[in-house]
Amino acid sequence: MLLEWEQVLKHVISDVLETMFFSMVDFGECGPEDQCFDYGSEIHLLSHAGCTAISLRVSEEFARMITANFLGVEENQVNDDDMKDSLKELANMIGGGYHARVKEAGWRLGIPEVWKIGPESMDSTQRDAELDFAFLGEPAGSATVNYLPA
Amino acid sequence: MAYNVLIVDDSKSMRKVILKTLQLSGFSLGECLEASNGREALEILEGKWIDLILADVHMPVMDGMGFIVSLRDKDICGDTPVVFVTTEANEERLNQLMKLGASGYIRKPFRPEEIRALLSRIMGETDAFRMGTSVETRDF
Repeated sequence: MLLEWEQVLKHVISDVLETMFFSMVDFGECGPEDQCFDYGSEIHLLSHAGCTAISLRVSEEFARMITANFLGVEENQVNDDDMKDSLKELANMIGGGYHARVKEAGWRLGIPEVWKIGPESMDSTQRDAELDFAFLGEPAGSATVNYLPA
Repeated sequence: MAYNVLIVDDSKSMRKVILKTLQLSGFSLGECLEASNGREALEILEGKWIDLILADVHMPVMDGMGFIVSLRDKDICGDTPVVFVTTEANEERLNQLMKLGASGYIRKPFRPEEIRALLSRIMGETDAFRMGTSVETRDF
């Protein structure tokens, strides 16, 4: 059974990806538990009591494809900065959509962050409760929501 | 009539997407200028006639709130409509932007027809009602 945050996030991710990135994803177990992705992005919903962090991790292939769709260009015209900028916007829209649906008073959206996940970079995303998603049967990414008390 | 538009957003990708959306939606677009924050936008507005401003809310240097306050305080561009394109979900903040003089807002993610309908209405085109008005906007 899906938890509340998973249901909300699933709905928001689908809405944002379909409306602005022209991509449909399937949710569920999509690959090995230690699946490695290439880009991470995160946005915080801030309140005086703490913050809710929405984190995403996606494969480079998926990031390139959605960026090309977002910008209306060919995938071979997409560079690393384009992907990072688009993933920031993706996190921003997912954060805004999540906020709109949970309607917690007094929250405000933080500034989204994006990073490339490499051997030397820290991928701090919690991995024990993730919402995996796939594009055309291939693992595309995962998302999670963590509450961090002040 | 073709309208000069200023797009204010810290994301280059989003500026590109908004421009493309305007072009695809058949909006009568004249010159399109871009700024990455409110301060840059004010500098452009000092020297250029703009018919419509599309601005983000969350931006570094000067955010959408600071931008519209400065715009109205300094009486730059008079009554040039300002439409916010935003992920902001806080109703209180959105109402505040409207009280400060915004002409409307569109929440991201958006569909091209939503932008077209809102802008047609704001710019006074007669086909606005034919396009539908399923966007969140308030009039004063």
